[in-house]
Amino acid sequence: MIRALVCSILFGTAALSAHHSFAAQYDADKPITLKGTVTRIEWTNPHFHFYVDVKDEKGAVTQWAFEGYPPNMLVRQGWKKDVSLKPGMMVTVQGWRARVEPNLVAAREVTFADGSKLTSGPPAGTGGN
Amino acid sequence: MKKQVAWLITVIVAVSVSVPSRAQTTPTKAKPAPRAADGKPDFSGVWIATGALRLMAGEAELAAARKADLDEGRPAPRTEPPPYKPEAEKQRQYFLDRRGIDDPMARCLISGVPRISFRPLPFQIIQMRDQMVFLYETHHAFRIIPTDGRPHPDDIEPSYLGDSVARWEGDTLVVDVTGFNTKTWLIGVGTVHSEKLRVTERYTRDSYNTIRYQVTMDDPEVFTKPWNTEEIFRLRPGERIREYECIENNEDLLRIEKLLQGNESVFKRPSNP
Repeated sequence: MIRALVCSILFGTAALSAHHSFAAQYDADKPITLKGTVTRIEWTNPHFHFYVDVKDEKGAVTQWAFEGYPPNMLVRQGWKKDVSLKPGMMVTVQGWRARVEPNLVAAREVTFADGSKLTSGPPAGTGGN
Repeated sequence: MKKQVAWLITVIVAVSVSVPSRAQTTPTKAKPAPRAADGKPDFSGVWIATGALRLMAGEAELAAARKADLDEGRPAPRTEPPPYKPEAEKQRQYFLDRRGIDDPMARCLISGVPRISFRPLPFQIIQMRDQMVFLYETHHAFRIIPTDGRPHPDDIEPSYLGDSVARWEGDTLVVDVTGFNTKTWLIGVGTVHSEKLRVTERYTRDSYNTIRYQVTMDDPEVFTKPWNTEEIFRLRPGERIREYECIENNEDLLRIEKLLQGNESVFKRPSNP
């Protein structure tokens, strides 16, 4: 029974994968949390993207790009197009940095100004490790 | 030392007493499967693999599903590692070391059988008297599976989903799938196969809310013996199949090309010593 369970966990997880291999593009050892102002949203397949201007302590602004679930998955997490996320909103995003692009993040969760949260993408390691 | 041993024994006893074993619990009777007009179990409905619940519906729903299995005495799905021949296992390791960057799905190619059944997007079964229709949200895929006893057509071209025909064995729907191309992975990263692949799927609606899915992948080119795995599909009342048009804005393609052109050391697993 234990062996069956262990196998189920190991191969059950391996069986699951999002659209692409997370691990080839993103580094699970590079978690990041960023806070800033939303500038643009692309509500598209196979991933949605949004862009956030993040100010550092000296006031310099850097634009970060975030990638997450496609719309069909987002609505199941409670998202609404043009309502949940809009340009001008202040958000905090938790995710993992890309291996190559310096300002690209796989977004796992978005926290809004009122403290509410929505899942925005798969956990690290989905689809391989 | 004696104290430590006594403490350890106490902990072991406490744990074994507090964790109810399945033998000690009386399973709750699960709501039975509905029947179609011809008396066969009716598989109609929108379904999702249990493993996919985590992504689609979150940890709480996954935990509730696992609890229902325990309460209703439903055995956990049995899975086993793929019994690859050495050459095919080498190929699988190659793809694993490349962290799945070669995944056909990343290029928006349709998943084959059985991988399509494990995707974190639901599928709908429409049952008719002499055929079953499977509609998969992923890649707009569909399978029309005759259940009237007809054989496979004699003009099958190798394809992603292969050709399916089914028969009933008691209350179990047995689907025979053949005629695959080699452009898909079977389940996880790097699970390669040849055109000789033959898949046998067994669908048993063992309760109102569940289908036990047992799948055998037979491919003498790559396996030393058939590879068996199981999953439990969950009914999703109120769920509907939505649209998923993969190729719309696939930024992955450009990034993957960039990684493949001189950045292998960035994404590949460190070499084994």
